Parts: sequence; C-alpha cells; structure tokens
Amino acid sequence: MTTAALTPGRTASQAAARRSGTVPVSVVVSAAVIAVVLLWSLVPGLVTGHDPAVGVPDDKFTAPGARYWLGTDHLGRDLLTRIVHGSASSMTSALVAVAIGVIVGGVLGLLGGYLGGWVDAVIGRLVDVLLAIPGFLLAVVVVTALGYDTRNAAIATGISAVAVFARLMRAEVLRVRTSVFIEAARVNGGSTLHILTRHVLPNALRPVLSLAVLQFGIAILVIAGLAFLGYGDPPPASDWGLLVSDGREHLLHAPWLVLAPGCVIAVVVLSVSRISRWLDQERNR
Amino acid sequence: MSASTLSRRHLLQTLGAGSLGLAALPLAGCALPSAFADGGEGDAADDELTFLISNLDGGWVPSKSAISSYEANVWQQLTDKLVHTDADGVVSPWIAESWEQDADSTEFVLHLREGVTFSDGTPLDAAAVLANLESWAVGRPDDGLAPVGLFPGGTYEGAEALDPLTVRVTFTAPTLSFLPTLGYHGCQLMAPASIAASLEEQSDLANQIGSGPFVLDTWAGNDHVRLVRREDYDWAPEVLGASGPATLSAITFRVLPDDTLRASAARAGQTDIAYNVNPQVLDSFTEAGFVIEVPRYLGFVHGFSLRTNVAPFDDVRVRQAVTRGIDRDEILRTVFTDAWESATSWLQAGVPETTDLTELFAYDPGLAAQLLDEAGWTDRTEDGFRSKDGTELGFTIYPTPYLTGSVPEAELISQHLGRLGIRVSTQRLDIPTWTERVTNNPEQGISPVTRSFVDVGTVAGVITDEGEDWFAVGTSDEELVRLRDEVAGAADHDERAAIVEQLSRHVLEQAYFIPLEQNVQRIYVQSPQLSGITFNAVAIPSYHAARKDPS
Amino acid sequence: MSTTATLPESTEAPRRTVRSSRGLLGAAVGRSAQALVVIVLAYVLVFLVLAAIPGDPVSAQLDNPQAGFSDAEKARIRSFHGLDQPVLVQLVVSLGHAVQGDLGLSMATSQPVTQVIGAAIPSTLRLAVTALVLAVALAAALGLATRLLPEGRLNDLVRSLPTLFLSTPNFLIGLVLIQVLAVQLGLFSLVDSEGFASTVAAALTLAIPVSAQIAQVFITALDESAGQDYAEVALARGLPPAQVVLRHLLRPSLLPTVTVVGLVIGEVLGGSLITETIFGRAGIGMVVQKAVATQDVSVLLAAVVLSALVFVVVNLVIDLLYLLLDPRLRPSEVSR
Repeated sequence: MTTAALTPGRTASQAAARRSGTVPVSVVVSAAVIAVVLLWSLVPGLVTGHDPAVGVPDDKFTAPGARYWLGTDHLGRDLLTRIVHGSASSMTSALVAVAIGVIVGGVLGLLGGYLGGWVDAVIGRLVDVLLAIPGFLLAVVVVTALGYDTRNAAIATGISAVAVFARLMRAEVLRVRTSVFIEAARVNGGSTLHILTRHVLPNALRPVLSLAVLQFGIAILVIAGLAFLGYGDPPPASDWGLLVSDGREHLLHAPWLVLAPGCVIAVVVLSVSRISRWLDQERNR
Repeated sequence: MSASTLSRRHLLQTLGAGSLGLAALPLAGCALPSAFADGGEGDAADDELTFLISNLDGGWVPSKSAISSYEANVWQQLTDKLVHTDADGVVSPWIAESWEQDADSTEFVLHLREGVTFSDGTPLDAAAVLANLESWAVGRPDDGLAPVGLFPGGTYEGAEALDPLTVRVTFTAPTLSFLPTLGYHGCQLMAPASIAASLEEQSDLANQIGSGPFVLDTWAGNDHVRLVRREDYDWAPEVLGASGPATLSAITFRVLPDDTLRASAARAGQTDIAYNVNPQVLDSFTEAGFVIEVPRYLGFVHGFSLRTNVAPFDDVRVRQAVTRGIDRDEILRTVFTDAWESATSWLQAGVPETTDLTELFAYDPGLAAQLLDEAGWTDRTEDGFRSKDGTELGFTIYPTPYLTGSVPEAELISQHLGRLGIRVSTQRLDIPTWTERVTNNPEQGISPVTRSFVDVGTVAGVITDEGEDWFAVGTSDEELVRLRDEVAGAADHDERAAIVEQLSRHVLEQAYFIPLEQNVQRIYVQSPQLSGITFNAVAIPSYHAARKDPS
Repeated sequence: MSTTATLPESTEAPRRTVRSSRGLLGAAVGRSAQALVVIVLAYVLVFLVLAAIPGDPVSAQLDNPQAGFSDAEKARIRSFHGLDQPVLVQLVVSLGHAVQGDLGLSMATSQPVTQVIGAAIPSTLRLAVTALVLAVALAAALGLATRLLPEGRLNDLVRSLPTLFLSTPNFLIGLVLIQVLAVQLGLFSLVDSEGFASTVAAALTLAIPVSAQIAQVFITALDESAGQDYAEVALARGLPPAQVVLRHLLRPSLLPTVTVVGLVIGEVLGGSLITETIFGRAGIGMVVQKAVATQDVSVLLAAVVLSALVFVVVNLVIDLLYLLLDPRLRPSEVSR
C-alpha cells in the first residue's frame, strides 16, 4: 500500500538510456496512448460516427470486424464508440480523484511537516487511520455515504488516496525545512505562510507530482472497480468499468465485450505508470 | 549499442510483457497440481439431479414462499395438490379423484383418493383437506400466517367432511375460480401438524411435511436444499403418465446468486439445470446442445401498470403515447430468442379468455408523437426532450429483478421513447430495494408486472380498489368498477369471457397497462441428458418422472 | 487492486527506529497502544462517514405505508435502535458496546452483526491466506529470476512483469480465469466455490496484482544487495550465481520484503470485494456488498473496522518481530 517500489531496479538498458539522455520509445508510445485517450475524451465524435447510446439492435453481438472495429454489445451499440465516449468520464474522474488526493493530502502533509507538534500528531493519527483501512473498502464506504454516481466514486477514490500524499508531502517538507535557504528565509523574518508558499512548497512539490502521475493510473483502476460493482453512473453511461461489468454476462459468447474495455484500462494504466517511472528516474538522475 | 536499439528494447519490454502476462494466465492454471481438477464433471451420481438457483432466501412459511419464483421449484417436489392444472388451464384429477359442482358454482364436492399419506405417516384425508382449505381461505393473520392471495377467500363460506374421503366446500356467491385455483402453487397440501405450527416453527423447512414424491434430506440457509425420493409414493397426477415413486433418487438445489456464474457453470457441465440465465445467451446454449425450457404461466403478460395519480401518467394521452411508442418486435428480436412471443393483450395468450387486442397498443410512433403534441408536450429542452411549462417529459423505469432480460429491455424502451422526446432513465435494483422503491412506493408511477393466476376470475378483484388498486383510480373509473362486479358475479364461463374481453379492452384503451411480451419468468437451462420433466399452469417443473440418461 | 501509490522513499529498507530507551518491552507496549488508538479512531471515522447516509433501513421499512405502523410505534422502534439520539451519542454508545464485543444487530436482517461477520470470515480467510501465499511465491520467483537470468531481454521482460500485473484490473484477471480455467478447461468448480481448486483460482486473481508490489520491493532490494562489496567479491571469487543469491543476497533483502507483505494485507482485503463477487464466494466482501445495497450501516461498520484491525495487527506483529530479530533496531542500540 504505502511502500512498494516505484522503480523496479535498474536494468542495463535503462542505465544506458539514462546516460544517452534520449526519451525511451516505450515512454513515447505511452505518451501517445495517453494523448489518444485525451483526444477521445475531448472530441469523442472525431473517432467514430456511431451513437454511443443508441445502436442497431439487429447488429447485436457482431464480432469485431471492418464495420465495428471492436464489435457490438447486446443492444447493437458499437463498443469502440462506447469506450471512446466513456473515456471522458473515466479520465475526468481519475483526474478529480488525484486532485483531491494531492490537494487534501498535500495540505495535510505540509501543515504537519512544517508546523510539527500537536498539529503533526493529530494529522499523523488521521493518516494512520486512513492507511489502516483498505483503500478500496474505504472508497466503497465513502461512495455509499455520498450516493452512487461516477462523480462521487471519484471523490471517494480521492479520499482513499489522501494518506499517501500526506505522508510523502510531510517527508519532503521535513527534508526541505532543515535546508539552508529555509533557515535563511526564517532568519530574515519571513512569515510562516510566506515561507511555506514561496520556499517549502515549490521544493517539495516535485516528488508529489511524480507520485500523482502514478496515482492517476491507480485511480483509473479503483474507479473502474467501483463502476464494475455498480457504484458509478448507471447505463447507458459507458464508464470503462461499467462496460466490463455489462459485458460479463456475455463472456461466454461475446468475450470482446469484456476483453476490449478491460485491455483499454490495462493499457492506459500501464502507459501512465511507465511515464511515472520515467519521470521518477529523470528526477533521481 | 545505439540509443534506438535500446529504446526498442524498452518498447518490447513493455508491450511484450503484456502478451506474455495474458498468455501466462492459462498456463499458470495448467501448471498447478492435478488436485486442481476436482470440479470438471458434475459430481452427482447418475440418478441425482443438481439444480442451480438464484436464491432461496424467501423462507419456508408456505403462505409466504409457496408462490415464490424460487422456492416454488422446491415446494413442487415436496407437496401435492388437489387437482393438476396444466399450461392451458385444463383441470385434471390429482389428490381429488373426482368432483361435482352445483349449477351456479357455489357448492363443490371433492372425492379424495384413497391411501394417500403425508411423509410423516398421517393420512391425507378429509380432515387434512379441511385444515388446508382453512389455511388458504382464512389463514391465521393473528399469528402472522396470511391466507393465499389468489384463493377466492372473499366468497368462501366453509367446508365440511361428508365422510373420511369426501369434502363439501360452499361459497356465498358463484365462484368459478375455485377448481382451477386448487392447482395454483399457493394451494399445496401440507400435513395438519405443519399447518398448526407457529410462524417460527414453520420457517424451518424440516417442519414442513408434504405428501409429494420427494422428502427433505438436508437444508442450510440460503445455501442448498437436498431432497431424496420417497419410496412409497404412488399418487402422481394420472394425466402426467408416470406412477410409483420418482425415478431420480435425489435432487440438490444449490444457491448461486450470480446469473453469469450459473450460466458459466451450466456451460462447464457442472450442473444438470441452471435457473434463469440471461435470455441473450440462450442461443449459444442451444447451439451447444442444451435444452432450454421457457414455460409460460397463466397470468399477466410482462408489462407496466401505470399509477394514474402520478405525473405524467395522469394524462391518458401520455399513457397511450408511451404504449404506442414501444417497438415490441425490436425488443423480441434483440433481447429474447424465438421462444418468446409478443403480447396480444394484457393477459397471457394461454389464458382461455384472452383475445387478440394488439390493435389497441401496437407500435405507432406517428400516433404517439401526435398524442404528445395534443397533450401539450410541444416545447423542447436543450437535450431535445419534450417539455411543457418548463417540466421535462420523463420518468424512471426500475426493471423487475424477477425477470432476466428486463434490464436490456428497459434500455431499448428508453431508446424508443427517447426518439419520441421522452427521457426514460433505467436503473437496475436488487430485490429488496426494488420492492421498497417500486412495489411499496406510491410515488412511483410505472411498475413492472410479472404475476401469475390460474383463473381469470381473480383478476378484476386484484387490480381494483378491492385489491391492490394498481392504477390508483379508486372508484373514480365507474366502467372499471362495473366490469369488476360483473366478472365476480358471472356464473358461467361464456358469460364471463365476454365481460373479461370488455375489461381488457377498457384497460388497454385507457392505457392503464402497457403490455410488452408474453411473460417467461422462469428459464431452465437443462443438460441434454434430462427427460420426463413437466410444467404446470404456473410454469413450475415437476421432477417426479424426470430421468437422467448417462451420456 | 492496488489502491494507493507506492512511495519512492521506501525503496530502501524501512528504517524502524524507536525514539526512547524504554527497552524492548516498553517499545512493544508503545507500539500496541498506538495500534489500539488507530483502531478506535478508525471506528469513529467510519461511523461518522456512514452517519452521513440519508435515511436508514429501519426507517425505510417503517415508513412503508403497507406496514401500517403508527407514529408512536415508529418512534419506539427507532429509539430501540438508538436512531433517535444525536449522532455523537449514538457513536459513544455504539463504541462502548463494541469495546465489549457487542456489535449490535444488523439493521437489515436483525441478526447479530457478529454472527453475520463470523459466518463470512472462514471464506475470506481461506481466500486471503491462499492469495498471500501465491503472491509471495510469485514475487519470489520473479525476484530470483532477475538475479539468475543473464542480463538481456528475458531479464528485462521479467522486470517489467510487476508493472503489467499492477496495471491489469483484477476483475479482468478473474473473468479470464473463470472463462479459461473453469468453463473451457473444467479445472475448477463454479458451483462449489469454497473447494480447493476454486479457492486457488480466486486467490490467483487477488495474488497477481499483490505479487507485483512485493516483487518490486524484492527486486529492488536484491539489486541493492548485489551492488554491495561482499556480493561483488563473492561473484569475483567465482561462486555460482545461484549460490551468491542464496548466501549473500537473500537475507538482507528479506527485511523490506516482509514489511511490504504486511502492508499488502490491505490490498488483499480490499480486493476480496471484487474477487468474491466474481467467483460467487460468500465472504466478507460479499457481506460488505450486501450491506451497501441495503444500507446496513452496522454490518458495514463492523466489516470495515475488522479489516482495519487485521491490517493493524499484522503490521504490529511484523514490527514486534523486527524488534526481536534485528538487534540494530533495539532502542538501546539505535544511533540517532
């Protein structure tokens, strides 16, 4: 939950790539994947001419082919169109989740790390509690309290990620706080707020942002899981997790309904984590 | 090494891992020890049946669960009835060998079969039948034991034993529905001791003694019920052709709530029967050699009843537009298989009194649009839906959880009505939540109906204010009240059939009820080795004569 | 499913330092007290979050007009469940009972909550333990492979597997396993969901993403140990790589690996929600789902706090084991 390594060790090729200073092709491909999905989210109509909510019922369960690239579902709707139109919701909600994690977690970590004392103790206990409750379970509880829709699922996912950001931010603040230039600013009589925003925050932010990229991929997974269990928007919405859950009934005779959206999730998350890992390596150079 | 080869390696590394990982899944499975392969075959012996069912949590108090879509499958094997009513409504002898009735259908004399016993040894005689009639007609409301809803208790006067094997039943008014209703799943014969038991005792299936071809072996909560053959059983309905004890030695009903898992288990050959799988997967089962049984019961078609005191259904033109706006043929083609048929009225086609009234609700989008225009829904919202005085025209359908296929059906309806400018949301709910939000909620204007009856005489009472007031019209619709009273008072079948047609016409013209398709509430996916299974008027299977041929 | 990002700071062996010099026993007591506080706070937090749910199952049943309760009766029944009290009073009462082991009645079914939860524990326990064993085995295999395979494409491939495992939604893994192993190959029973083979298949679904997290830490730790002088010397002396791994690399890599095993308990418990749904297992995950559907707050609260309890206790035990096993972490010898 909190620990496993972001960087799974150095391989010879990675080390070499680092020395050469070029961007690895896998990172370029990953960035392209993300760019494509962002394009889907912004202008879904650009990619396909089909309607995501209304299909041709007589074409139900058409296997992937020339007419329907990824096949059709139980109502004859084009699966690719549904995935494309579902991407906006899936990407936005992941973004919202990460934003909540970064902002709430970041502020908590910043306050705890900089102010110390009882503030740090209280925040520390809160973070401990949030870490102790399995993240997915916490998200389910929060979304139950807020009501089932994709926006609330995003909020719930964000809340379940607050603790890791708080922890990282606190560690970074502690590291920066003792450095020479902060001491200097303090001696020069800067106010707490000023020092925090002008000196501490900018220096602590980079690792937090690098974590945020990784967390973005994880948020996609969590939100898809919530949608899979039916805690997101109901059909005809086409969030990726919902598509898998709907397709599940037809796994026996139309496996593409599960495999296509499932693999889209996997590829997007894989791309995000590749980019995150690369950013992290760049930082550690 | 150049940077580009290195980078290509990165690419291979990331993408290759993808294919390898997916390929590794099945491999990982194969590599596991052979102990893994313990579930490939159905583990039941050749004369034992396994039956996968969605749930068995309705409890075992007969007045609560005898007519449940789920528990009824178990009850049917444990109990007998006085008469057998087949899928066409034809009544034939069972425990009652013969009967007479007077000219105005107020007095009936039943002659019971000799030598029938309950599995605890007590005789199934006139005294036992009297106890059963009392429990169906009156029940023990003070002890929490309700009567049987569709038994004509309103006109029931009493019953007496003329001799140990003869019972006379009298009614205060003509009651044509009495005999067929004896074959209804609510009217199952229980041992007097079981009937006398308290509510709490009755909730234990072990205390429920019947006279059927199977007896209880073990049961555990919402997990399984195992029945074994009763060796001295010899009173199956003659019309079904088999006599003596059952052919199968045991039946295990196992609960597996997930539709997809039941379908997958059936496909993997891990069960003999799977109950209620998604109709859209049935074709693939047929192709694989499975037998699909979609028995239809006597009752209402699958459709929606509308509460006329809830907007927008307070306007008959909106109701008519909704019913005219649904493309039923497309629903049948898309959601169901060839085994499903379109509705011809609001009553199932198998009900003898049903006539073809399709013209009153057939798909006609032009007419529907015109009706909505006339009703004043002419403005459009930003999303293109109709509105009037700033109110958008729309409603929410909660598809019935009792019917597999109701969810995609509702999605299609939403598309059809969407084309007319009506915003229809759909939301799938589980059974308890559905009951709370739909059945028990007077604010919900549109409620799915899936309901059985064995005699049309009981219908008029149920839908009006005497019963459940489905359309929330109370007594304001005088025509409905008049027809109800006439149906109840009819003394012969021909006279009643004519009034029933008038009633159906009225309900459909007013668009109180929106018929969808002939209701198939129970879907049985059966292994091809099974034969000898029969279904009764309410589409419940009997496994007395069922056999399993080794493949 | 991995729910939270992994922290770069802890790629090094976690530093578990104890500030005071209270000695071993004192440290143990301190840690336990801390754990206890976390559990109590978890209870409070979840209680307050769930209190935000509009309505409750008891009232929903009572307000049904067909039930025909009078206002006075409704009030009496609500007060029996304590629903007429302010939230904070409800919290204190409920916490007081919980401390004595009384978790109250399920609001949906009126069964004691301990009974509902207790009935579901064996299934989840079997699943979780099997999943952990599989995850550790898988992670160990991946980790050792990176050391024993020569550097090259195959090695790189193995190194990238954990990222792939982490990126694949576990419901996809589960559905593919069911389709391939059960339906097509008939290797496990979908009917007997608690059987050995079925449990292994469900556990594999959980184990794949979880193993990735363990593997990442293990591989990093092995790499670090391999960079140490003694390991390089050993290799230079011509010892076979397998022997070097066993003798010199494994031991120092175990510490961070065991730590991460403790931390992934949360993933296993959270992931069981989806896994149990897909495989139809009647465990805690299924109980949670049902409780969510029926807004059965008391059951949901108990299930969540139980999960937190398991997480905290497992990690406490690991902490204490470290204090026992690793002399460097003992208070008296901690360098500050």
